[in-house]
Amino acid sequence: MFSKLAVKNVGRSFRDYGVYFLTVAFGVCLFYVFNALETQTVIRYLAQHPRTNIVGAIQQLIGILSVFVWVVLAFLILYASGFLVRRRSRELGTYLMLGMERWQVARLLLAETAVTALVALVVGLVLGVVLSQALSIFTAGLFAVPRTFFAFSISVPALLKTILAFAAIFLLVMLYHAFTVSRRKLIDLLRARRVNQELKVRSLGASVFFFLAGCVLLVIAYAMLLTRGLLRVDALFWVMLGLGSLGTLLFFRALSGFLLRLCQSNKKLYYKNLNMFILRQFNANINTTYRSMTVICLMLLLAIGITATSVGLNNTVAQMADQTIVQDVELAVWEEKGEIPDLPAALKEAGFDPDEQCSRWLSFPVYRDEDGHSIMIQADYDAYAAAWGQEVVDSFVDSWRVRLVPQVEEGLTADRCYFLADYAGDAQTTEEAFLAALDQAHFLYSYTYTTKLSTWMELMGTKVLVLFIGLYLGVVFLVASAAVLALQQLSQAADSAQRYRVLSRLGVSERMRGRSVDIQVFLAFFLPLALALVHAVVGMTAANAVIAQVGKVDAAASSAVTALLLVAVYGGYFLATCWGSRKILRASA
Amino acid sequence: MEQILKVEGLCRDYGRGTVTHAVDHVDFSVEKGEFVGIMGPSGSGKTTLLNCISTIDTPTAGHIWVEGQDITTLKQKELSRFRRERLGFVFQDCNLLDTLTAYENIALALTIRKTPVRQVDPLVKETAQLLEITECLNKYPYQMSGGQQQRTAAARAIITQPALILADEPTGALDSKSARLLLERFEVMNQLRQATILMVTHDAFTASYCHRILVLRDGAVFAQLERGNQDRRDFFRRIIDVVTELGGDQSNVL
Repeated sequence: MFSKLAVKNVGRSFRDYGVYFLTVAFGVCLFYVFNALETQTVIRYLAQHPRTNIVGAIQQLIGILSVFVWVVLAFLILYASGFLVRRRSRELGTYLMLGMERWQVARLLLAETAVTALVALVVGLVLGVVLSQALSIFTAGLFAVPRTFFAFSISVPALLKTILAFAAIFLLVMLYHAFTVSRRKLIDLLRARRVNQELKVRSLGASVFFFLAGCVLLVIAYAMLLTRGLLRVDALFWVMLGLGSLGTLLFFRALSGFLLRLCQSNKKLYYKNLNMFILRQFNANINTTYRSMTVICLMLLLAIGITATSVGLNNTVAQMADQTIVQDVELAVWEEKGEIPDLPAALKEAGFDPDEQCSRWLSFPVYRDEDGHSIMIQADYDAYAAAWGQEVVDSFVDSWRVRLVPQVEEGLTADRCYFLADYAGDAQTTEEAFLAALDQAHFLYSYTYTTKLSTWMELMGTKVLVLFIGLYLGVVFLVASAAVLALQQLSQAADSAQRYRVLSRLGVSERMRGRSVDIQVFLAFFLPLALALVHAVVGMTAANAVIAQVGKVDAAASSAVTALLLVAVYGGYFLATCWGSRKILRASA
Repeated sequence: MEQILKVEGLCRDYGRGTVTHAVDHVDFSVEKGEFVGIMGPSGSGKTTLLNCISTIDTPTAGHIWVEGQDITTLKQKELSRFRRERLGFVFQDCNLLDTLTAYENIALALTIRKTPVRQVDPLVKETAQLLEITECLNKYPYQMSGGQQQRTAAARAIITQPALILADEPTGALDSKSARLLLERFEVMNQLRQATILMVTHDAFTASYCHRILVLRDGAVFAQLERGNQDRRDFFRRIIDVVTELGGDQSNVL
């Protein structure tokens, strides 16, 4: 009987459950994708290369971050279910009035949540698997991984982890439901829709004062950030964060009153169409929403900051990869008792024939004089320049502060010998042959080598790490804040249905009512975003100053990617919210 | 006399299968400047009738003309416009927007008709004076008494000078003193502004302020009472008599 009622209820209040359903499904999807990183083609490509342990590091980091993501998602889902209970409080009150026990009502809610959650979980997981595969193809293309590595795969550990994580969230939701139902008074449940909220309208003076105070605090925080830089984490750093947050809070708290007073003073604007109603509505809501607006603004700031920084950093890393080494392999062997080996011969003996396996190669000694300065023979210099170009050899000479001499002079001792080569044929197999030969050669001498492939692998790992985690966190924060906003706007639309009914009766056309809804949703979405963008521009200026010390900052690319992500996710949520709010109000008119 | 409202053969059925005739072939008309009441026990179809006239509900059959225009053939967009320009509403509840002050609630009726701004203030103040709510213009609905709220709603209804003011149980939630105050204001609106008022009520006292009363039973017009030159008290007694007759042995139904 109860399960029947529960299933029917879910069906009936589909619109209400729709928001909840979407939130949970999206959360599940994101969580799976994040944890199923090992199915990513790029990651598998990196993992099969034995000499890079970057994959382990990535997965460790993801483990830590997913806890963080879990907390954000848990709050989001709790908020969504709170919205659900609030909208249905009258119905629940009726059940109680008909004589149902509280625990029975709680059980009913529980059953309903379970039904929705189960369906959402399945849908979310399917979406997650599809999305992670799509992402895999996309990133593989981005990082130029051979196509052969791509395969359809599902990560079972990630699947289990996601199910467990969300089971825990649902448990929290159920406890929350039980708590709400058992605590609320029947009269409150029944009259929830008729609660007249007190409208506090602050005086103009107070509004202006708080608004200006907020702005001043923000400017102080900005100035501190720009003069002190981003990386000095001391007491003043936390003061700066505190000032910034407080400034944001005051800004939003006073904004609506300030806006209202400003528009009221312009009668032509205020007494035009529904402007008066829209502003009042916004003002009435902001008294309850300025806190969440502040949180959303800060979350958006994190989203924008993380995305832009990671993309900027990623481009910097990519540039570094190209600059570091030119040759496929660079081997340096140091002297032992004044002697250096004949490198090509030793390698050939060990099974790696430079003439056969390299398209070009060069081996030359570097000497040192009595003062310890490096000396290079002019002929070797010329050969180097001929093989890899003037620029490359000059940068080699500069980095070692090598002095050139025409020929070997008195007083010079052999210091080390270089072997530089470009592979012929497949780089991967040639490198394996080279490394095997190096192990075989039993040099008595100390040696170092860098290969382009391993450097590339390392940098690629860093690149993937930075970009993937940056983008992922950016998306999570973006989605979380957009979803909270959407839920808030939808619940407000439901709460103000009565007002729109009055407007409809007064003869306000549907177009005009729709416009009023759109403007309110727009204000709710745009205001936190606008302030977050200002924050982000200042923050990015500071962050870029840090990145610029390491490499060149590609501001255009990072801004473009961030903007694209913002438009796609935030814009999508904005449109969906407008549509949903209009639908709720149309149904009630 | 100019005819403002004409209702002909109006029917409104509910339900499928076993159909309920909420309004069953009702005919009547209202002249300009009249104050007409619709009475009847609960379930007699008076609110359904009013909803049809106010274009909130669509009739199953029949026609309604307001100032010669057949409103049953209007489209959604034209309906909004019609409500905005030709009708005024006073309802028992869901009247005022709780986020707006009394002043703004009244002004809203003007702004949605795109009235020039400089006309708004004098019009609002004048109307507020007529309904004696000048002192609470800057209050929010929750700061006002029920009577003040209803008079504000009445001010909002009349400020646009509509062809017809529709009132659904306007005194339903008021104490007798507030009710009397509101009804006196209705009379003033009717006399000074020549407002045409159609009021639904189940209360004989409220009805006694009208010039003419239609009594509905089971969706059809059961009786019509004209006040003529009678005193309000005498009219009230006549109404009670009809109510008793209507109720038969259960005279408390009204």
